[in-house]
Amino acid sequence: MQSANPALTIPHTIWNEMIAHAKECAPHECCGMLAGTDGTVLAHYRITNILQNLTDQELSRFDGAKLRDLQCLLPEERADIAFQMDAREMALAQKDIRAKGFQLQAFYHSHTSSPARPSQTDITIAMEFESYREKLGIPQPLHIIISLADEDRPDIKAFRIADHASVEVPLACEGK
Amino acid sequence: MITVRIPTPLRTVTGGQSEVQVEGSTVSEMIEKLAEVHPGIKERLYDERGEVRRFINIYVNEEDIRFLTGKDTPLKDGDEVSIVPAIAGGG
Ligand SMILES: [Zn+2]
Repeated sequence: MQSANPALTIPHTIWNEMIAHAKECAPHECCGMLAGTDGTVLAHYRITNILQNLTDQELSRFDGAKLRDLQCLLPEERADIAFQMDAREMALAQKDIRAKGFQLQAFYHSHTSSPARPSQTDITIAMEFESYREKLGIPQPLHIIISLADEDRPDIKAFRIADHASVEVPLACEGK
Repeated sequence: MITVRIPTPLRTVTGGQSEVQVEGSTVSEMIEKLAEVHPGIKERLYDERGEVRRFINIYVNEEDIRFLTGKDTPLKDGDEVSIVPAIAGGG
């Protein structure tokens, strides 16, 4: 996973922490944030996936197809196929990122049984975030997906999401 | 006047508007006024205990009100309030 011109460089320790986070949360999806400077990750924030606490009305923030899938599941099963970051923890992380003089580099989440590429729901909600990100003074983050589909070989890929489409960008893991 | 930025999923309540102007000397008062013009918005922001829903951030000029004085956070003319649902995704 080395590249001449990586869009983001992640230290080996944080790389492993993300995989550990995904494995601990499985079969639920995990989620979190990476921050740093100039395309290098220096800080890792685990954020709680609060999906199972969402009420039926709150689930309506998901698009039609995903909403129907979620409604078929018990609340405790819903986090297997989706995630919702805890807003307070996300704001706390953003506060810490600002205090350290870092910038948000990426959001990450896991796919426990599907490949490491964004779903339609991932893209729709990332675009929703794009619509107000700039006004909040946040740089455009990458979206990283950790796939545990192959249990022995977790796969981590990064995407830039814009114009309702996703493009994979190279990642580097440093310090192996 | 306070400028309130409305996220995409809530624009169904504001008739498609992405920004609305409203008065109010605190966040809570501003949301009450907003609800007079755009019924339904309060229920989307607050849970049954009257707390801001756990997946929503309300920022006053880039600071989350949870780290200010919550719904009592004072507002002044020209302040910008952003309602931002936290990142989510699915599969
Ligand atoms: Zn996903």
